[in-house]
Amino acid sequence: MSMLDVNGLDAGYGDLQILSDVDLTVAEEEYVVIVGPNGAGKSTAMKSVFGLTTYMGGSVEFREEEITGRTPDEIIHQGIGYVPQNDNVFASLTVEENLEMGAYILDEVPEDALESVYDQFPILRERKDQKAGSMSGGQQQMVAMGRALMLDPDLLLLDEPSAGLAPDLVDEMFDHVDAINDNGTALLVVEQNAKKALRRCDRGYVLVQGQNRYVDSGDALLNDEEVRQQFLGG
Amino acid sequence: MSTVDTVIDRGRGMTTEQLLLLVVGLGAFLLLGDLIIGILNGTYSISRVARYVVEGTLYGLIIGLAGIGLSMTYSILNFANFAHGDYVTSGAFFGWGVTYLVAGWGAASFGHLVLVAPQRGVGGAQLEIAITSTPFAIMAGLLVAGIGTALFVYLIDRIVYKPMRGSGGIPLLITSIGVAFALRYIIVFVYSNRTRGTTLGGLPSFDLLLVDGWVSIDVHDGTLIVAAVALMLGVHLMLQRTKLGKAMRAMSDNRDLALVTGIPTEQIIRWTWMIGGGLAGSAGYLMVLWTGTIDWQFGWLLLLLIFAAVILGGIGSIYGAIFGGLIIGISMHLSMVWLPGGDFTTITAFLIMILVLMIKPSGLFGGKTTA
Repeated sequence: MSMLDVNGLDAGYGDLQILSDVDLTVAEEEYVVIVGPNGAGKSTAMKSVFGLTTYMGGSVEFREEEITGRTPDEIIHQGIGYVPQNDNVFASLTVEENLEMGAYILDEVPEDALESVYDQFPILRERKDQKAGSMSGGQQQMVAMGRALMLDPDLLLLDEPSAGLAPDLVDEMFDHVDAINDNGTALLVVEQNAKKALRRCDRGYVLVQGQNRYVDSGDALLNDEEVRQQFLGG
Repeated sequence: MSTVDTVIDRGRGMTTEQLLLLVVGLGAFLLLGDLIIGILNGTYSISRVARYVVEGTLYGLIIGLAGIGLSMTYSILNFANFAHGDYVTSGAFFGWGVTYLVAGWGAASFGHLVLVAPQRGVGGAQLEIAITSTPFAIMAGLLVAGIGTALFVYLIDRIVYKPMRGSGGIPLLITSIGVAFALRYIIVFVYSNRTRGTTLGGLPSFDLLLVDGWVSIDVHDGTLIVAAVALMLGVHLMLQRTKLGKAMRAMSDNRDLALVTGIPTEQIIRWTWMIGGGLAGSAGYLMVLWTGTIDWQFGWLLLLLIFAAVILGGIGSIYGAIFGGLIIGISMHLSMVWLPGGDFTTITAFLIMILVLMIKPSGLFGGKTTA
């Protein structure tokens, strides 16, 4: 039984429908990647899981409970975390304050979670009193992921974690993402770096024009002639 | 390249902005020079200049204190609240009603006291209201001004602004102008339009002989300084140390991100209104304590100066609001060295605001949002 079960989802923004009849599942501790051309609705699919789009039909179930129509803080309570793509840190807050905000819904800052985030991203411990806005893009991405990990979510949604990073940092970021998955957190990741992402994930979805086109294991998609030709640049 | 060429090149590279900065700097330098020479050769009395600085600082503290709330609501709700000045007036009336009640219990009817003597009759002087003679009445009044205004502002948010959440800055701004008018004339309706004295004159003061005259700071000036600085420090600690304060800063940084992080944004907005309103009410109460008079529109008249201070400091920054308030207050009073005083000092306030905006459009503390 899968943990997240998106079934026949139609969603968009206001009157504009972007997704039609999208199916998506993520099992416990699974690492799932959504790839596809620009404007395919990858981010929209992810945001829909988190309740940030206009719902138009279908269902989104988390552990067999319908979560459409819930507000982000309710969904966070369910055990889902979300890291947006851009502007994903509180720029004028320090690194540690950013992390504390991730645990806002708890009465007290969970010290053990804070320690484990610092263990996972040692650079953040070093710079904990630095303003997040003054850090490099890669470090900001770590702050954003660290903040989402403060509640130790069961499912983490990552919107293009490698976007805008220098090529040599992309692999490092993928390593961090792998480490999060190794700790038992299931991942749903949207990626532009399709080949790299598919090589590392358990399963991949190719989304085209708001619809599922291919679903398979990462390796199978990489080896599929049609997928390679059309979406992975040969 | 010869030196001459370099100079010409540098001249060509100079923007109008830099030219303006040069002119303003030169102007400021000339005024400062005139002030110093005038003091040295006796044209301007040292004690008079010192009095202006002291009065300006006190006025600046009030403007800054009231400005914090305006800046906070701006940074979190993204609109300039024109009703803020009338929150200041409302708070003053709430607080002074309680002060009259405590200080003059039994001396006049309940209605007369709680409405701050709307008709002639027993007033502040007869009740001998001063921090030395009726300290408890004043502390109770300040407390009620703060808490009462906080609750009142929360109520206004629930009725007026909450249904409009997310409608953008302009509709909210225009609505707030409506709220300002409604409040102001409700104040006239309830409290009357009479200007009245609220405190006893001839207060004990600390006098300092400064070469050619006295500079005195009386007990109400002292009360204003202590209360205003304590409140400002309180806000600073709240923003930097508490969970609520950090969440307010987070929200002012990025409201959408705050929402997906699980910060209960509606709750933070509520607290922002209440804290901003409480500070506005306290500022109003202290202003009346300081000037010794209260009327129905002093907050509205103060609002333009509050805006000048907040914009000057960089809207959205509470430290900018405090700093801007002090600059506006001091320069307004200091300009009386050259200007005849009265409403002319307002020219100084807005001239400084215009110049700062031309040179640094984001304000002195601009770009650094600190809630």
